[in-house]
Amino acid sequence: MMAIKILTYLFVAVIWMFLQNSFTPASFVFGFLIGILILFILRRFLKFDFPIRKLNLWAIFKLFILFCVELTKANIDMVKVVLKPKLDHQPGIVAVRTRLETRLEISLLAALISLTPGTVSMDFSEDNKTIYIHSIHVPDKDEMIADIRNSFEKAIMEVTK
Amino acid sequence: MFTYIVYTVLVVIMISLILFLVRIFIGPTISDRIMGLDAFGVTLVGFIGVVMILQDTIAYSDVVLVLSILSFVGTIAMTKFIERGAVFDDD
Amino acid sequence: MTTIEIITSFFLLVGTFFVFLSAIGVIRLKDVYSRVHSAGKSSTFGMISLMIATFIYFIPEGIINVKILLAILFVFMTAPLGALMLNRSAYRNGVPLEKNTIRDDLQEKYKDEKLESTE
Repeated sequence: MMAIKILTYLFVAVIWMFLQNSFTPASFVFGFLIGILILFILRRFLKFDFPIRKLNLWAIFKLFILFCVELTKANIDMVKVVLKPKLDHQPGIVAVRTRLETRLEISLLAALISLTPGTVSMDFSEDNKTIYIHSIHVPDKDEMIADIRNSFEKAIMEVTK
Repeated sequence: MFTYIVYTVLVVIMISLILFLVRIFIGPTISDRIMGLDAFGVTLVGFIGVVMILQDTIAYSDVVLVLSILSFVGTIAMTKFIERGAVFDDD
Repeated sequence: MTTIEIITSFFLLVGTFFVFLSAIGVIRLKDVYSRVHSAGKSSTFGMISLMIATFIYFIPEGIINVKILLAILFVFMTAPLGALMLNRSAYRNGVPLEKNTIRDDLQEKYKDEKLESTE
């Protein structure tokens, strides 16, 4: 727990130096103190359920690249939908059941789904295990579910497990 | 040549901002209006970036940062408000 | 035109195209849920592209402006969250779906609560 707290202080200190645009030891120390103050004020809301056991930098890098590639593909897909002369796409809401467990993993998956071509996550079920997805063109729902399971869930599991 | 490109970009972004405003005015439901405001805020951040290139100054970089944060916080507050009628949860 | 101006122009034109596309989508599409697709994705992508252009333009003058990078990171992280909140609040308010919608799995979750329309 202590290591994560110190990492958060360091993170706040670096952000503070960037915002001040002055890279001196004095501003680093000041940012560190501000990090301690912020974490003290927010101590009720922070639970620190950090699921990452060992830091796998290569998997995190792969997840980030996947994010960027999917965002670009999603926008090219939007071009096709919006600029079609006749709007005949068939939207629908699909429930997808995930195998992920912690809240960080599920919110990461929801964010990834929002950047996939043609899908935006809408809501969660009571036990946080089912994500409801609004898709702009859903002729075949099984294909979409299999796509999400094979690419995103696997990439997130590689980071956290 | 470069200045003409920047001016063209500014004009097209301005037309997009006007289209978002049209959606805010005619939006049949309140969700349409909130969505229009969200997109308007994000596009305004890009507009200020282009103005920074045109005037060759970085004085507006604080404006960019604060505007992007305020746009997001405003969207979240308004959606929470129309969802439950209260901005803060009780738990 | 110098090299840096050509690179900047490329990113500016790409960003402007996607921002304009997002505006057209917001006007043309028929219900809130489809419009959020357009507003949430294309608008964010266009803004990120314009900001990258601004960042690149100031590099030869020796200015590395980290605040612009922070703004890009922030919008990149928060755009999916904003889209999710918009969709969820719209559904809970009973905003009707478009008429050629073919599936609605969310009906089961809210079938006990009565959703009243805001229109």
